[in-house]
Amino acid sequence: MKPDLTEIIKLQNLDKTYRNGNISVDALKKVNITIDYGEFVAIMGASGSGKSTLMNILGCLDRPTGGDYYLEGIDIKEKTDDQLSFIRNQKIGFVFQSFNLIPRTSAFKNVELPMIYGKIPARERKERSVALLESVGLGDRFEHMPNELSGGQKQRVAIARALANAPTIILADEPTGNLDSASSVEIMEIFTKLNRDSGNTVIIVTHEPDIAKCTDRTITFKDGFVVQDLRRKEAV
Amino acid sequence: MLFLENIKLALTAIRANKMRSFLTMLGIIIGISSVITITSIGASAQAMINKQFETLEGGYMVLMLNWRNTESIDYYADLFSWDDVEALKNRFPGYIRYIELMNLGNNSSTTKVGRTEATLTLYGAGADYNKFDKSIQIIHGRMINQSDVDAARENIVIDVKAARQLFNKENAVGATLPTAFYGEEKDLTVVGVYETPPSIFSGLMVETSYTCYVPISLLLGSDGRSAYIEIFASEKDDPIVQAEAFLSYITKVKNKPDDFYMYQSADEQISQVNTVLGTLSIALGAIAAISLLVGGIGIMNIMLVSVTERTREIGIRKSLGARTKDILTQFLIEAMILSSIGGIIGMALGMSLAGLGMSAFGIGVVIQPIVIVVTVIFSAGVGMFFGIFPARKAARLDPIEALRYE
Repeated sequence: MKPDLTEIIKLQNLDKTYRNGNISVDALKKVNITIDYGEFVAIMGASGSGKSTLMNILGCLDRPTGGDYYLEGIDIKEKTDDQLSFIRNQKIGFVFQSFNLIPRTSAFKNVELPMIYGKIPARERKERSVALLESVGLGDRFEHMPNELSGGQKQRVAIARALANAPTIILADEPTGNLDSASSVEIMEIFTKLNRDSGNTVIIVTHEPDIAKCTDRTITFKDGFVVQDLRRKEAV
Repeated sequence: MLFLENIKLALTAIRANKMRSFLTMLGIIIGISSVITITSIGASAQAMINKQFETLEGGYMVLMLNWRNTESIDYYADLFSWDDVEALKNRFPGYIRYIELMNLGNNSSTTKVGRTEATLTLYGAGADYNKFDKSIQIIHGRMINQSDVDAARENIVIDVKAARQLFNKENAVGATLPTAFYGEEKDLTVVGVYETPPSIFSGLMVETSYTCYVPISLLLGSDGRSAYIEIFASEKDDPIVQAEAFLSYITKVKNKPDDFYMYQSADEQISQVNTVLGTLSIALGAIAAISLLVGGIGIMNIMLVSVTERTREIGIRKSLGARTKDILTQFLIEAMILSSIGGIIGMALGMSLAGLGMSAFGIGVVIQPIVIVVTVIFSAGVGMFFGIFPARKAARLDPIEALRYE
């Protein structure tokens, strides 16, 4: 099947079922979604709606139990664990709700980490790390430890880290969940800039409508199904 | 490159929690240091003993009556005579570098010069005995020579300490020394003064008498007999082989049954002592190695705790692209570095202890570089063996669950 060159993500009849002994839970049912390069998407839903499960699958941390997931034309089903690790390293940048920076490690080293696993030599790592931290406005905080940074600053380090290997997709799971309103606005501005100016495909999972409003397209989940898929018309 | 990063990472983790790291290493430190101390002391003792025997030339042996076999001794027939010495000399030319009858016992003589008294132990030497016993370094005059022995001259070579004590000077050549042995009083002429180079034993021994050398023929007389023949065999053949040959020949010459005479060889004794010491060292070392086992278990325990504490971190790394292999390597290297550092500390401790212990005896410590290399490699090995289980546990964590871990 010849991949469509504008599609970055294609989910076809995707199923995810969790089995725990005799109990099985259908987290995702027959999901069909296509996302193009450069889109700015919000995945909305209440908790238990399947949005977190979807994010794990999109991020290649989990495998679907049925259906297909094509990432940049690559059939994820056929990939080994090591290959998925490589794909995560090269193509996906995660941003988490609770920041998930490595403790007792400087901002600089945190941003370096994906590049280390990506086998980038030290000198190049250093240059990129500095540039990325500067681009999120933390040029004066390289050596700071996570516990010396505010929530907003930590999330900015996380974003810089997510960009380390110039991935095609930024996947953010409730990125403003642990932030105050001012920091939330800052962070969403950074995501918007990444999408508009750098052309990154940004996918944000959230349950807050205010956050979803910043994006161009909102896909709403309920009980494992896609119940709505709306593109915002650009305000004139 | 990732390997280097892992090493830096491991060092950072170890530094971050110094007390815990130290307690983890303690088992390895104790284990390694005890093994090193014991084997160093063993090696040093062996070296020391070998060194002592170095003052004697090789192939030293003594032919003697086998006291266990004989009930009564016929003085003339059973003991060795000068003829027996000649017989051996003629039968084995080239295989014997020195051979003389040997006088043991009853050779103490109290001498008095002016108002000073000293006790001398007289040793019956053949010509140029100092060539074979390097503890005799002639500093004035000469050693007993062949002419002295042939004529049984009344000459003596004395210890420099005796010279100082009796004559108030070192060069006592030409002086007269009154001696008494075997019931006779004789005035001997000093023809040489010797000194003994200081040895490991120097500090240990208290000298109550001075050893002095006189011609063996003087001591024993022309019809003298002895139960002992002193030989320095050549280096042409194995000392035991030569000893057996000498023994069987002289037994035949004297027409005695086998086992009537026996030999004692220095080389045999040295190797026996070395074997005993070596075996002892190994046995004690093995016991000490048990604490290494405990140390390894300690490392495994701490690594398990560490993995649990860093579950979240492992999830993060995996989400960023770390493969199972990368996580495994990270924790394995951490365990190996912990144990290697413990090994190095243990080695330093062990060597200091060995040094301390040995200096109390005035003995130098032999530190073999191979031991150092083996220790570090072995410690790393212990770390790897005991670190595998926690490392695999870490590597197998599911990233999604790990990220959820509090």
